[in-house]
Amino acid sequence: MLQIRPIISMLMRSKSGPILLLVQIILSVAIVANASFIITERVSLMSRESGIAESEVFDLDIYNFDDGMDPVSQTKRDIEIIRNLEGVKAATVSSMTPLSGGGWASNFSYGTSKEDRVDAANAPLYYGDEQMIATLGLKLIEGRNFYPDEVLTGGSELASLLIVSKAYAQETFGDESPIGKVMYRGEIGNQPMKIIGVVERLQGAWVDNNNLERGMIINVELAAAFNRILVRADEEAIVGLKEAIPAALHKENPNRVVRGFTTISEHRNIVYRDHELMATVLSMMVVLLLLITSLGLAGMVMFNIERRTKQIGTRRALGAKKRDIVSFFLVENYLICITGGVIGGLIAVQLGQQLMALYSLPKLELFYPIATVAGLLVLTTFAVIFPAQKAAKISPATATRSV
Amino acid sequence: MLSMKNISKVFKTDLVETHALRDFNLAVNEGEFVAVTGPSGSGKTTFLNIAGLLEGFNHGDYFLDGVNISNLSDNKSAAIRNEKIGFIFQGFNLISDLNLAENVEVPLRYRGFNAKERKVRVERALEQVGLAARMKHLPTQLSGGQQQRVAIARALAGEPRFLLADEPTGNLDSLMARQVMELLEDINKAGTTIIMVTHDADLARRAQRNIQIVDGQVCDFSMYQAGENRGKTQSIADAASVA
Ligand SMILES: Nc1ncnc2c1ncn2[C@@H]1O[C@H](COP(=O)(O)OP(=O)(O)OP(=O)(O)O)[C@@H](O)[C@H]1O
Ligand SMILES: [Mg+2]
Repeated sequence: MLQIRPIISMLMRSKSGPILLLVQIILSVAIVANASFIITERVSLMSRESGIAESEVFDLDIYNFDDGMDPVSQTKRDIEIIRNLEGVKAATVSSMTPLSGGGWASNFSYGTSKEDRVDAANAPLYYGDEQMIATLGLKLIEGRNFYPDEVLTGGSELASLLIVSKAYAQETFGDESPIGKVMYRGEIGNQPMKIIGVVERLQGAWVDNNNLERGMIINVELAAAFNRILVRADEEAIVGLKEAIPAALHKENPNRVVRGFTTISEHRNIVYRDHELMATVLSMMVVLLLLITSLGLAGMVMFNIERRTKQIGTRRALGAKKRDIVSFFLVENYLICITGGVIGGLIAVQLGQQLMALYSLPKLELFYPIATVAGLLVLTTFAVIFPAQKAAKISPATATRSV
Repeated sequence: MLSMKNISKVFKTDLVETHALRDFNLAVNEGEFVAVTGPSGSGKTTFLNIAGLLEGFNHGDYFLDGVNISNLSDNKSAAIRNEKIGFIFQGFNLISDLNLAENVEVPLRYRGFNAKERKVRVERALEQVGLAARMKHLPTQLSGGQQQRVAIARALAGEPRFLLADEPTGNLDSLMARQVMELLEDINKAGTTIIMVTHDADLARRAQRNIQIVDGQVCDFSMYQAGENRGKTQSIADAASVA
């Protein structure tokens, strides 16, 4: 026997108690729905795969101070030295480190004339040689890698070939194969480059930029006074290489500074630190809010049981079974919870729109307010059922005994 | 109809054991109006609670309407309370957040009656106590006498065989008490068995049968013996046989 109507009457006639609880539930739903949405957003951002063997790859910078140095030959010698060290699997000079928060990006266009020029989306740009794919641990899914003799050492103007990520290829050419397509830097006709390969996945340097997945590699071994080098090594060898690489490089030429040695895993932790902090703080807030709401519910029920001892005894005397008493409290609090849930859900959507405008968040999915209310109903059940079962034990004799 | 044999009830607390009822014997026939009197603490409420299945007892046999009450499950006794017994309390025990109709409806909902049946019964019961016009009022908007009449309506709505009343007029002035008593007499005339605990000797005298509980035991004074036996304690066996 669900006694919904008389319970509604009772709730409508009782004073502040249910209102306070209602307000608490409304706020909880509004906040928890948005917070859990943001948490899942952040977590799903953080769990995107980079396509890179993150724990085996680290970067290092070489600053040359030797004025008489020839960058091209020095760079070739340096990379040779690093590749020959024990534990190193592959190494390449690169324009940037994945997930590091800093690097290069460019806009390409394609078409046959200035009039039918199509601009492709902005993309993170890696300069590297034939070892770039092996160094990052990328998976080539179409076409081929650079041949060693296709890679020129020097500046970016030498570039002529492209290996692109699948994401970039699909965004630019749809289902059409990108192999053999020619892209230009800016204007049509300007520095043509041919796409020769596609890798399954290659993230860029900026995790909050929407160009993240569009990584591409250009066939140039950059050579300058300052070089960024990416090294892939056995995980256990990395500690030793932090000593061995500077030692070997200084032996070759002492006039420089070698620093860095940060793995991509470490870069990932740094670059996602704000997201992680946000997710942690919000999770704690969600847990706290739900805890407070459950305590509020349980407290309210206990208070009501205390207040209604004689009423419960009387109901039992009039024929209520124990389960009627339990369901009385459950129904009462479900009603409060659902009412608060509906209002809170509406406010959550409203709040979501504000947040969307303020912090350029995606639109709150309806799943979250609904899941929050569902979760709250489960919590309500737990918060209510134990005190209610105690209430059901109140003796029917209370009807005649208590004053 | 109601038969108690050698019922005893002991309340144990850490410090004391109270023998609220000892070797309590009583039989009540269908249609009787029994008034129960006795000194404070003698066990009247205890007797009524056991009779009404509100609490259990330690020893003895209790049959109500042919049903052995000793080993009933909690659900079963709740069902019997709901169907066969109407309760009237000294403090009325109305639910203050519910209006009169909703109060009267409470036991009917536990009975599982549908909305239409409940409505008919609520209206009939409130009419019977003369308060049909005030169905939507809250209990606090009524006088004590009116509240007790609502409580009587609540007890009557399920058409119980028994009405158990613990000092139903205890909180009322004498005029209101008389009105309530008259109502109970009407109900009894219509066939409902009534057991009423009271401190009011005048009201008790109007009942068909008087019993007195002293120290947890029965002293029965049937109407026809009232003259000779008042003040004397009858043997328990006699009391039982009279009933
Ligand atoms: N829950 C209880 N725990 C312990 N002792 C109890 C309990 N209920 C009743 N008693 C004791 O049992 C005895 C009988 O109590 P009961 O309430 O039946 O008396 P009564 O005749 O109804 O008294 P009154 O006229 O004051 O209402 C008293 O001594 C009382 O103190
Ligand atoms: Mg009493």
